[in-house]
Amino acid sequence: MPVSCVCYAVHILKRFVAVVAMACLSSSRLCARVQDKLLCQFGHKVRKQTVFVKLKPPGPSPLRIFGKTCQRVTTCGPACGSGGFSAGASSGLVRRLASSLQSTSTGSLPDYGTQIVDPYRLLEDDLNGIYEDIRSELERNTNQSELNTIATYYFDGQGKALRPMVAILMARAVNYHVYGENSALLPSQRQVAMISEMIHSASLIHDDVIDQSDFRRGKPSVNVLWNHKKVAMAGDFILAVASMMIARLRSDDVTLVLSQVVTDLVQGEFMQLGSKETENERFAHYLTKTYRKTASLIANSVKAVALLSGADESTCELAFQYGRNLGLSFQLVDDLLDFVSSAQAMGKPTAADLKLGLATAPVLFACEKYPELNPMIMRRFQEPGDVEKAYELVHKSRGLEQTRFLARKHGAEAARLAAELADSPYQKGLVVTTDLVLNRIK
Amino acid sequence: MSLSRLCRVVRCDLVKVQSSSALVSKLWGPCAPREVSTCSTQRASVAQHSSKPDWNRAVSEAEKIVGYPTSFLSLRWVLSDEIANVALHLRKLVGSNHPLLKTAKNLIYNGKNNMQAWGLIVLLVSKAAGHSPEIPDMEQDKAAGVLHSQRALAEVTEMIRTSHLVHKGLVNMNSRQPIAAEPDDMMFGNKIALLSGDYLLANSCSELANLRNQELVELMSSAVRDLAEAEFLGERDEQNNPLPSRPLPKDQIEEATEWDIITDPLPMGGVIGCAGREWSARHVLAAGALLGKSCSAALKLAGHKPQLQTQGYLFGCHLALAWQAFLDLEAFTGPEPASFSLVGAPLAFTLEARPELYEYIEAGKKSVQDVDYHALYKAVLAGDGLEQTKRLQREHIARAVHVLDSFPDCDARTALANIIVAMHHDHL
Repeated sequence: MPVSCVCYAVHILKRFVAVVAMACLSSSRLCARVQDKLLCQFGHKVRKQTVFVKLKPPGPSPLRIFGKTCQRVTTCGPACGSGGFSAGASSGLVRRLASSLQSTSTGSLPDYGTQIVDPYRLLEDDLNGIYEDIRSELERNTNQSELNTIATYYFDGQGKALRPMVAILMARAVNYHVYGENSALLPSQRQVAMISEMIHSASLIHDDVIDQSDFRRGKPSVNVLWNHKKVAMAGDFILAVASMMIARLRSDDVTLVLSQVVTDLVQGEFMQLGSKETENERFAHYLTKTYRKTASLIANSVKAVALLSGADESTCELAFQYGRNLGLSFQLVDDLLDFVSSAQAMGKPTAADLKLGLATAPVLFACEKYPELNPMIMRRFQEPGDVEKAYELVHKSRGLEQTRFLARKHGAEAARLAAELADSPYQKGLVVTTDLVLNRIK
Repeated sequence: MSLSRLCRVVRCDLVKVQSSSALVSKLWGPCAPREVSTCSTQRASVAQHSSKPDWNRAVSEAEKIVGYPTSFLSLRWVLSDEIANVALHLRKLVGSNHPLLKTAKNLIYNGKNNMQAWGLIVLLVSKAAGHSPEIPDMEQDKAAGVLHSQRALAEVTEMIRTSHLVHKGLVNMNSRQPIAAEPDDMMFGNKIALLSGDYLLANSCSELANLRNQELVELMSSAVRDLAEAEFLGERDEQNNPLPSRPLPKDQIEEATEWDIITDPLPMGGVIGCAGREWSARHVLAAGALLGKSCSAALKLAGHKPQLQTQGYLFGCHLALAWQAFLDLEAFTGPEPASFSLVGAPLAFTLEARPELYEYIEAGKKSVQDVDYHALYKAVLAGDGLEQTKRLQREHIARAVHVLDSFPDCDARTALANIIVAMHHDHL
């Protein structure tokens, strides 16, 4: 494992140098844009900030990437270099976790050449107007104006649209894989992309009522603005409309696959209510919960587009596993960012998970070195000072690096799976997406 | 159906059912040719089924006809992890006055006022209509005379209904009024309520998906949408309790559009401010659509033709509206209650006749508890609101019974007729 990871690190570094060289060769505007597109695709709004124009090779301090501000984005976190990485690998916990990957990873990324694929630009035409389409679908389904207002609130185009992007990318990659160059995106596959974002938003809306959060995506969350009963109903409404859209695809298998998502989401929420006594159980519990709450939606929607494409069973399973690993990697980074990112960059408060009483991967890892975290986890950080103490201990421990390491493992596995599809810009896009997910700052 | 035909229907009704129906535009869905008929003969056909109607007996007799009890609160559910989890958390809520406790109590205690009989109705309709001979034996529950898929559908109907009731029972923590109880308790209660409702909804999704019939999934999903829409119709207090809209003068009421395609949302033109239509629209969305669509879906599963499916829809919808009218009337039959539904038909008709009473309603803008119920109660008794509501109920019963008559004579049909008789007997 150490060897493979070093390979991976070296590979990423090499690629990074290539990007730097490329950027330097071009005009300064282009330089900013290349980096912009490659690294910061997730921050539509933040993109204008000068932070991202700075392009530096990875700094010498291994902890800097986990610094509180985390303004510098690198393609390779120093954590995967010698220091942070070997500590992670020697940890029994990490080894245990790595086994949660379905197949053993070789750890090295496939070489996708010097061509840099930006999935968002690649899919510009497909993604264009996707929020408008969702909004008009919702509008068509109600004659109550307030319901329409609440239901469309989060479809303002400010989101990352990660789920639709991945779904369409996989759709095109699988279509290419099965039918070759002249394949096109099916309208039904684009529908699945919309549905995935709708299910996601419906769950966000219900989460907002449950967690009483104040901000989401840089604006007041729904529960601050409207009656909670109406907000809950708006969530049900979005789900119902999504479910009608699924039914109109007239595919039994797709309906079954997507209904599994909703079941998983709810079961994940229920798992979040309780916690497990022992460390071992706790981590398995955390990973299952993460799969159900986040990865299932991505995994099953990419499986659905593969089914619609008419791909064989093994390709559909490959798509599913790609989505599962990407989703896990995404959520692990999310849990990490909750500790390192600033509230401004996230558009929501940080250390939010701790405040909600949730022990995520960084805390669970930190608990190996600082067992005093155990009682805090059990009482859900409810006593005064718990949140601050836990926050501090996590930063003192290697928890953040280990979390990043695990996220990277899942990302690498997703990239490996994507590489099995026929070579196409979309297939490359799937590989690049695993990097985007790992290196996002919000 | 064209507007001209609607007018004809309404005119026919005017002749036969008298004034009240003029305002009740046909909001409850597609029209069937045989829909228009006299009430008197229908009533007679109900009467012959009954000797001494009793609600509980009618329901328990009916349950025997379709096999084991239909409620989804069966052992299978009690044994699920999530439900065990909810039960555990519910115990923490005991002592707080979160409405979830009341919702849970109402679900468990079987009474005349709850709608737990919905699954039962779906099964009775399934059995009464029979099924197409092409359906393989494997898929039939021979002893009960229904299909396994229909039983699953009945369960879905109850789950959707319950999920909606549970979500409706959230507390709005966003109101300007201070919340009486501990905010932490309320927040926790909301969390459990929201999750339990979502759990039921998620299970309905997967049960429906397992039926492998996409038209059915679409129809039932549209019923979930209708329920969500229902919570937005008209004026609301800060806890989202419904208030009637200010009655519009007759000459300002627009013509209503019909709801011909029931997978599209209910058109709202000409509804608000018109007592009868507003009442119909409100309760079609909140109840009729789900029961109607479930009955229609049950017939779809049995392989019946679209025409009969439409009849099934009409039956469920009219039955739900008749049921609602019955519940509205109940507040006015016994001793004077401390409060009653402000969007019930008796009050709606009273307000229409005496628009000046609307100032009492306006007092409830913040909370329906601020309304002077005694004054409104007296006003309802003094006017002909109760009479009009009874007429409305009879009309819906007649239409439901009319559909029933098109089914072959069998025990399930008799059971349905008995339930209907038990429902309206008290007031006749």
